[in-house]
Amino acid sequence: MIGQFFRLTGRGLGDILIHPWAHLLTLVAVAMVSLLAGFVLLGLHNVNMQLMKSRGEVQFQIYWKTDTDPKIIESQWEAVGSMDHLVDIKGFTPQDALLELADTLGEAGDFGWLKETNPLPFSALASFAVPPSSQQEGWAAGILTKLKSMPGVEKVNYSPLQEDLAHGWKLISKAVIWPVIGFLGLVVAMVVGNTMRLSLLTRNDEIEILALVGAKPWFIRWPLITGGMALGLTGSMAGLGLLKLAQNTLADILNIPPLFIHINFMPMEYCIALVGGITLVAIVSSWVAVR
Amino acid sequence: MVELKHLSYNFGSHWALKDINLSVGKGEFLFLTGHSGAGKTTLLRLLYGALPVSRGRATVAGFDLHRLKRRYVPQLRRRVGVVFQDFKILPRRTVFDNVAMALEVRGMARSPLERRVRAIIRAMGLETKSYTQCERLSGGEQQRVAIARSMVSNPELILADEPTGNLDFGLTMHLMKIFKQFHTYGTSVIMATHSREVLEAVPEARVLHLENGRIHDLNKPDDTEDDIEEFE
Repeated sequence: MIGQFFRLTGRGLGDILIHPWAHLLTLVAVAMVSLLAGFVLLGLHNVNMQLMKSRGEVQFQIYWKTDTDPKIIESQWEAVGSMDHLVDIKGFTPQDALLELADTLGEAGDFGWLKETNPLPFSALASFAVPPSSQQEGWAAGILTKLKSMPGVEKVNYSPLQEDLAHGWKLISKAVIWPVIGFLGLVVAMVVGNTMRLSLLTRNDEIEILALVGAKPWFIRWPLITGGMALGLTGSMAGLGLLKLAQNTLADILNIPPLFIHINFMPMEYCIALVGGITLVAIVSSWVAVR
Repeated sequence: MVELKHLSYNFGSHWALKDINLSVGKGEFLFLTGHSGAGKTTLLRLLYGALPVSRGRATVAGFDLHRLKRRYVPQLRRRVGVVFQDFKILPRRTVFDNVAMALEVRGMARSPLERRVRAIIRAMGLETKSYTQCERLSGGEQQRVAIARSMVSNPELILADEPTGNLDFGLTMHLMKIFKQFHTYGTSVIMATHSREVLEAVPEARVLHLENGRIHDLNKPDDTEDDIEEFE
């Protein structure tokens, strides 16, 4: 029984060579479908990466009360400087802030007359870059609360635009992306399935003859399934290889001002899902084709 | 070996077989004659389970075809060898592979399988072509491969549908000798044919004439002379 199982498996693989052209064309078709599906997944992955990356970048503008002791403020700058995921902190004394303002306004910004009665408070600009793995629900609000709770801090401003954009993307992901991936899967399944079934038409005679001599359904199907599995696996891996080649070539095509986007390859789980999905479709269509 | 009682079969409104009653004993040689469309192939297809028996009763090699479930059809076919006019062999496989197929489906071990396949290939005079792809063989050689495949498993019954239809006289006579040889070992044979030479090659065989789906036994004296003349 086991010997027969291995013999039939070997026959299924060897039979690919009996109709080499038909199977080569099937292989190419499967590889092309894998490549196209891979491009869609690669695009989604990179858009997601860009948004998740910008989602983690937030700047907070912190203002202290005018009567706060400068020594306390300096110690708080240090405390903020040691917070997790902080990228940069710039502290501004009232004088620094006045000079910055003057620089920004250019010739019109002569604030020499305000030197003695400077109304600007101590402030700081803290930039954070939180990686996607640490972006739990409400992470930006958590930092905001922490900064606001510091003694002497009067107010903290931050732009929630990127956060909102990323939150919006997350909602879109849930509502649209999965249906899109589902549709893509359906298209891939139909194309690969029909291609496999067409390739098995060349073996209808064999199926008929095996049935005539008394072969049981599994004896007929198993070599066809192993052949289909080999074609699906090889084709999808070839498609993935071509995708990697394309990604290597196009990796820095968008890495120019103002985009600075490096195109990354898909993570391993995407690759496994693509290869596994296409191989599974090939197996199922080989099974169905003999019915 | 074969028992048919009131067997009828229709394709839509056309009745291909009408109320067939027939009994074929073990070791009997039977010819089915009749014009194209008379129902010969339909009858043979019913006998090896390619068509379902829906009206009447049919028993073949102990299998009640009326009640035979689909999953048991392979078991019926392992006891019945089938030969066709168009050979139905796999052209890109070797002679050995084509013949061995009938034993592989039974799960026979490799060593006895090889012995048996080589023996039947030798009996068919094809030993020098064992590993030749069948598409490179002549028509007569291909038909011998098909006959070898149908006989390698020692079936109780051989159904042959115009097996010499594509062959010349010399090859026809050669193949009929092979059929007769297996028949002498006790195998029942039911052969559909148009050919008078084939009928004459087995004079002891029973001859049934099919016409418009009805059967006439040409060996029985009560069948009309008209039937015989019409066939001739």
